[in-house]
Order: sequence, then C-alpha cells, then structure tokens
Amino acid sequence: MAFILKDEDKNFVLEELKRYESKYSAIIPSLFRIQKKEGWISAEAVSVLSEVMGLPEAHINEVLQFYTMFNKEPVGKLHVQVCTNVSCAMNGGRELAKKICQKYQVKEGAVSQDGMITVTRVECLGACDKAPMMQVNDKYWEDLTQESAIQILEDLKQKVVG
Amino acid sequence: MLKCNINGVDLEVPEGTKLIEAFLKAEQKIAHYCWHPGLSVAGVCRLCMCEIEGNPRLQIACNTEVQEGMVASNQSEKVKETVRWGMDFHLINHPLDCPICDQAGECGLQEQYMEYGQYTPSMAHAKVKKRKVVSLGSKVVLDSERCILCSRCVRFTDEVTKTHELGIFNRGDKSEIGTFHDKPLENKYAVNTVDICPVGALTSKEFRFKQRVWYLKDEKTVCPGCSTGCSVKVYHNQEGLFRVKPEYDAEVNEHWMCDEGRGVFDWVNRQNRQSYSVNAENMEKPSSSELKLILTAQQTVEEYESLFEYLKSSNKKVEVYYWKNNPDKFDDFDNLLIRGDKNPNTKGLLETAVKHDITLNPFSGFDGFESFEGDIWFILPENKAVYPLYEQYVEKALKLENNLTIFAVPKVKVDKTKKNISILPLKTYFEKDGHFLNFNGLKRQLKPGPLQVSSALALNEWVSFVKSDDFGDQVDLLSKRKSEGFRKKNEMTQTGGGL
Ligand code: SF4
Ligand code: SF4
Ligand code: FES
Ligand code: FES
Repeated sequence: MAFILKDEDKNFVLEELKRYESKYSAIIPSLFRIQKKEGWISAEAVSVLSEVMGLPEAHINEVLQFYTMFNKEPVGKLHVQVCTNVSCAMNGGRELAKKICQKYQVKEGAVSQDGMITVTRVECLGACDKAPMMQVNDKYWEDLTQESAIQILEDLKQKVVG
Repeated sequence: MLKCNINGVDLEVPEGTKLIEAFLKAEQKIAHYCWHPGLSVAGVCRLCMCEIEGNPRLQIACNTEVQEGMVASNQSEKVKETVRWGMDFHLINHPLDCPICDQAGECGLQEQYMEYGQYTPSMAHAKVKKRKVVSLGSKVVLDSERCILCSRCVRFTDEVTKTHELGIFNRGDKSEIGTFHDKPLENKYAVNTVDICPVGALTSKEFRFKQRVWYLKDEKTVCPGCSTGCSVKVYHNQEGLFRVKPEYDAEVNEHWMCDEGRGVFDWVNRQNRQSYSVNAENMEKPSSSELKLILTAQQTVEEYESLFEYLKSSNKKVEVYYWKNNPDKFDDFDNLLIRGDKNPNTKGLLETAVKHDITLNPFSGFDGFESFEGDIWFILPENKAVYPLYEQYVEKALKLENNLTIFAVPKVKVDKTKKNISILPLKTYFEKDGHFLNFNGLKRQLKPGPLQVSSALALNEWVSFVKSDDFGDQVDLLSKRKSEGFRKKNEMTQTGGGL
C-alpha cells in the first residue's frame, strides 16, 4: 500500500518547518504526526517526508531509528507496551506480557490476526510506584493484575470496534 | 600568526589552526580517527587527547583552537592512560579480525592497538554481533562490526558529495552505519569513503582480498582519466597494478578522486596490453615523402614536442589528424572533479601544435585514405573505453592496404600475413616520463613506474629511432627485448570474498 501524505498533514509539516531555526528540529513532530495517523512509519513515509521537508532520507532515518517510541513495523489498533523493568518485573510485569500474548495469540512485536493487538516489552515508563503497568497507545494503566489488564483490553477492543 | 609549543617544539601557526594541525605540523604523533583534514570536526573518537598547560582537564586536540602562547603535549602518563582507556572502549565490540581484514597494515586502529592495546581483554560480556558483509552498492562493502563510528564516511557524503546517503542508525552499541532502506551507495565518489575509513569497516569491492597492502609499492603520479588530472598514488608489485588512491593536491583534487579514475590502471596491466610487436622484424625506415598521422589527446607534451619537431624538420608532406572523442561533452563539469573531456592532455596537444605551427585536421574515419600512397601512423588512445568509435576505427584500419604503423596500448588483433601493417606496443602513462597540461593549463607531471610491457615505447623514443641511422637495428632490438618474467598470481592471495 503506497503511502500518501494527506494535505492537512503536509500543511502540518510545513508549519513545523517554519517554527524552528533548523529544519532538523521539525523531524520529530512530523514523524509523530505520521505515526499518530498510520500507527507506524514506513520507509515510504520517510521518502515522502524527505521530499516535503527537503531533508535527506538518511538523516530522517537516523532520527527514526534512534527512538524506540517510533514504530518501524505496523502495529495493531491497540499497541500494548508492557513495562518489564525492575519494579514492574518484580510485580509480575513479565508474566503479564506473556499472558496478554497468550490471550490474543500473538507473538511479541507482531500484530494479532484480527489486527487489534501488538504487545511489546518496554523499559521503565516512570510509573514504578504503580507497578506493574502497561501503556496502551497513549494511555497508562497502572496497578494491574493479569485479570484487570485483560478486562481493560477487552473494553478498549470493544470501543475500537464499536 | 600565533606562537605555540607542542611537545617541546616551538612553532608558529596561522590563527584558527586546530591544535591537532599544530601537532602534525610539529611532526608529533597524535592518534585521530574522526578528524580528517578534508572534513568538518566531529570530536567523537576521543583519541586525540592532549594536555594544555594551565588547563586541569585533558582536551581533544581536533576541536581546540590554538591560542597565543599555548603549551600543549601528549607525552605525559596521564594522556597515555586516557588514550589507553579510549582505545579499550573502541575495542569493546570490535571483532579484531585483522588476519582477514583488508585494512590490516594500514589501519589506524591496528597501529594504535600495537602501542596502547591492553592485549588481555578485560570485558566479561560477549561482543555485540552486527552485520559483517553488507553490500553498499557496486563499489563498497561494509563490515559493521569493525566500524568505530567515527562518522567520517557520513560527513563525506554530507559535506563533499552532498549526496547524503549515509547515516548512523539505531543507538548505543547497536549503532550502525548504513544507507536509508539499504539503498545502494552509488555516487561517483563513493570509494573515497573507503580511503578515509580509519579501520577496515569500509572496503573496496574491486581491491578486496586481491593483495595484502604490505606487498604493494606506490608511485605518485597523475590520473589520466579526464582533463582534471588528479594527483594519485598507484599501488603495484611484480604482479601488476592493483589500486589507485588520491594524493593530496591543494591545487587540483585536494583529498579526493572519482571512482572512475580508480579503475583506469587496468589497461596498464600486461594481460590487457598489446605486449609484443607485429611485423617489426624487417621494418624499414619510413621513407615515403608523404605521411598521414592520426593522434589523440592522450599522449604527453614531450611526445607531441618530439613528434611535431620531427614532422616540421623532415621534408615530408605531412597531414596530422586529431581524433576527438565526445567533443560536445568537453566542457561538462560536475562541480567537484569530473570533467567531460576524458583526455588528460587536450590543452597540451593544442598548445604544442600551435607552437610548432601544426594544423590539426579533424579525424572522421579513413574515407579517402585508400588511394593514399605514403605512410600512415595511427596512434591509438590508451583509454579506449572513452572512445566510442574505437573498435570501429581499428577494424577499418586493419583492412587498409596502405603502409600502416599502429601504435597501441590495448591488444590489437591483426592478421600477421598482412605485411603492410606493423604494430608497436606503446607505453602507458604509468611507464613514461613527461607531463600533461590539465584543463586550465596546469602542468601535471607523470612519474614513471616499472615497465609492464618490456617492448613498449613512447612516441619520443619512436621519433629518435626514425631520426637515427640504425633504425632497423633499434626496432629489431625492441621487438627482441625479452619480457622481464612477471611473477604469476601469488598463490597465497585469494580472489574470492563473496557477498
Ligand atoms: S564505516 Fe569507517 S568511516 Fe564510517 S563511521 Fe565507521 S569507521 Fe568511520
Ligand atoms: S576527476 Fe578526472 S582526473 Fe580526477 S580521478 Fe576522476 S578521471 Fe581522474
Ligand atoms: S519499572 Fe515499570 S514503570 Fe518503572
Ligand atoms: S580526532 Fe579528535 S576526537 Fe576524534
């Protein structure tokens, strides 16, 4: 599927370019905009951005590859990032990640058959006092148990479908 | 000018000079991987450490400007200790596979290791594995494990070619050099990245695994690839020529050269040459009173000089034809080095012709030559690849019935029974003394290396034969000269290295 940058997004990028002294500063907001719309950032998207921004593909790619917050592969409608750093791990974070994978029949990092779920393990998200926790798309869910986490995901799924 | 003192040596340097340049000027050893005189300062390798009097902390010499009265040194134990540690960090993930690395023998890291290496590794963790053989287009291979992330290659594509293909992707110990989406690195200067890579991370597909560098000698000379005339070094041994690298020349090519120019040595190698003369045994001194001569702008000024002088002083009726390739592209220029005139000496030919009052008639084939009764001298260009009509003209020439002498660097397939045609092997730019005039008239001096084809002659030698009384003997001697017994392929070198 070819990537097309919609006019509104293109305008956003052009506006961002005006905001900074260096064009390079506009790379992160532009990438985020695309990720928000598409869920991930494809190589094609980088090529299109490169043209719109007048920056080399390699330099945009440097930024893209540096940050783990950018998805370089497609993700499900719900991107579930389970923290497995120290505090969360001690409170069952790893098991939680495994459980969610099992429940939705999906390998870590892959997209579930119905296109709904992607589970990734991440490092500390700064909510250690509420361990274990997960981030679903932009939102934090804290003090989880395996059951509550599945419940939350089921509800969210319902919302997305509905 | 600023006065400073480097390792006890007093010197003066212009304002704005970096400390590292002062070290080099004072002929002091200082390690540097990321700094390169032709690129911007990155300051990432942390090896050029030095101590500046009055400054409690060590500084990197590549990013510090010399100040009036500065006293700096890199001799103290403190500096050495720091460099040792820096070195150790570089080696954490470096595979140290020098025995199979093409850079061995001319590697910055290897040299530094000999001096500062800890020898017994103190890392308990396994090294990070990375991509070992990445094909970066048709000319360059990347070994990510060997890369020390100095960023020279990235700065080269950003600052010199401005093609911006390379970048550093991922981060931490997963950082890797690469092109976006593994696109091939196909700019016309790509192999310069191989030259500036301080380690064996970038190697040249053409040269890889062909020779160990310590088996090679080098000769400083000039690239005959186009009218720019870059200063180069040609690397060779008894087996022939193996590679060409640029040589710093402030007036012409600075630190760089084009990739095409690196390939030109190939026609010098024996296996691609006309390596013996044909029908030269009973050759007689050219006696006809008429002479037609066809030449290109690929010979040296010295050759044109002796040739034109002879033509003027002999009482022959002479016509000189100038065979020009792609004249419509002569003025092309890519704003870096490459010029459309693929002859090294167009200016030299034109100026020498004017000096001797020789008219250069445009050459456009042999029509009308059939009825000509005199001698024809056909001097073929050595870089035949840039002459689109080369094969066509040679084929035509070999059918002529006239009294024809062909001077050739590349092989010419002639029917030996055709007694009217003789072929004499010609010397290449690598084998003769002399000079070219480049596009703006700058003198480009050649330096002769070892003769690859022993019976080859330069045109000025030919002229001296023609002028001498014992022409027959001279030519005879030439054809009987035994080749020097070139060594066969070194059985210890591989030719493989698959991708
Ligand atoms: S590939 Fe070579 S030149 Fe490029 S960053 Fe690595 S070590 Fe430096
Ligand atoms: S620019 Fe011309 S002279 Fe320089 S290396 Fe290339 S072909 Fe040779
Ligand atoms: S360890 Fe999980 S949020 Fe900090
Ligand atoms: S040469 Fe100075 S930091 Fe690399």
